[in-house]
Amino acid sequence: MDYTNQKQPQNYSQMEDLKTLDLEESVSETIMRDLRMIAYKLKYVLIPKEQEDNGKELRNWDLWGPLIFCLALAMTLSFKADSTTSSSKSDVFAIIFVLIWVGAFVVTLNAQLLGGKVSFFQSVCLLGYCVFPINIEALIIAFIGSYLPFVVKLIPVIICFAWSAYSSVGFMASLVPPHKKKLAVYPVFLFYLFLSWFSLIV
Amino acid sequence: MQNFGSNNDLDEKGHVMTDQPKIKVKFEPKPKPSTCPICTVEYYQQFFDIEQRDVYMRIRCSLLSWKPEFYQCVGKNPDLWGPLWISTTIIFILFAGGNLSRFLLEEDKRHFKYEYNYMYVAVLVVYAMAFIIPIILGVIMKYILKSELGVFEIVCMYGYSLSVYMFVLILCIIPYNEAQWFFLMCGLANSTIFLLVNLWDFMKKNKQTTLIAVPIISFNVALILCFKFYFFRLIYAVDD
Repeated sequence: MDYTNQKQPQNYSQMEDLKTLDLEESVSETIMRDLRMIAYKLKYVLIPKEQEDNGKELRNWDLWGPLIFCLALAMTLSFKADSTTSSSKSDVFAIIFVLIWVGAFVVTLNAQLLGGKVSFFQSVCLLGYCVFPINIEALIIAFIGSYLPFVVKLIPVIICFAWSAYSSVGFMASLVPPHKKKLAVYPVFLFYLFLSWFSLIV
Repeated sequence: MQNFGSNNDLDEKGHVMTDQPKIKVKFEPKPKPSTCPICTVEYYQQFFDIEQRDVYMRIRCSLLSWKPEFYQCVGKNPDLWGPLWISTTIIFILFAGGNLSRFLLEEDKRHFKYEYNYMYVAVLVVYAMAFIIPIILGVIMKYILKSELGVFEIVCMYGYSLSVYMFVLILCIIPYNEAQWFFLMCGLANSTIFLLVNLWDFMKKNKQTTLIAVPIISFNVALILCFKFYFFRLIYAVDD
């Protein structure tokens, strides 16, 4: 059976149906399907008007997307890091990698401790997907940053930081009771601020 | 119309109330699992049972350090949210601000080398000051000096005592020696007075308990020396 001509699935349950038949298909088709799933979730997470059901699609969490974006960001920034000392490239890579995973873990743990009832990996998945705008900002600054004055560089940084923070704040705030919202949201803000700062200074 | 006070098992229509839920008036604590209760998430949830305005009040109490009001703010509800996120914010400010301060002094701005070691040292120093030292002091105070304050109350107090540094360290980005010393001294005074004033009831008991002031003051002094001589050191002195 040939799945290459299937039209784009409209929601996740259609993708789940396709999954049952993956033993018969080629490796490239499996990979393409996984990439389409990641792209679908990315569009869901980052375009706020698609999120009317408050993150229910994220119940089918995966960590491939966060891993890809984390590695992409760490590699972009370490590539751009000062090359006169080899240790700073590995420093940057290590700091970004650890920061993203430990940061997502701690922010999720914080939400759980504040009484939020959420699956741990669902929240880590969301925070990982929302790192994508920081990736865009890091690539912009890496390629054309050296030709721009500092103030102009700040513009994509602020826009992408606001985009990341706004995408994840809605979900995180909905997890906890109303009088604890700011307590759950502030760590998210700090997390993306750390990452944005890195992409600005490297 | 239910008879809460009576013991009979029949309701007003004469039916036996077999499947009416009995209302438990006495609070029964959950049975603790036998292995390591302190390792579960549920144990720590009691320390995150605060609201955002509680955090504002506690930070405000710590900034107005000469008033011994912290225990009225905290009551029986020490929290760990404050210490954790105040110390993480300070780490970010040290990392970003320390490098920014060096950058402002650098003559050759194109070839500025960012020091990533600041991140590792900041994490070590700040989390030690916010958690390890108060845990050790709290254990000594509770088990050796017989204080009625728990370990987590001391951790909470230490965490909030660091809140003044969030503002002081931002001001320390200004690359002038005198200004940096002035701000750090203000921070030291505020933080140490906060700790001593709130522990005064405990310290005035006897000579042994008064000695607890010595490690408190010395660790605070060590902290600002570390801030000044590692993070905000001025390699190129500014002659103005």
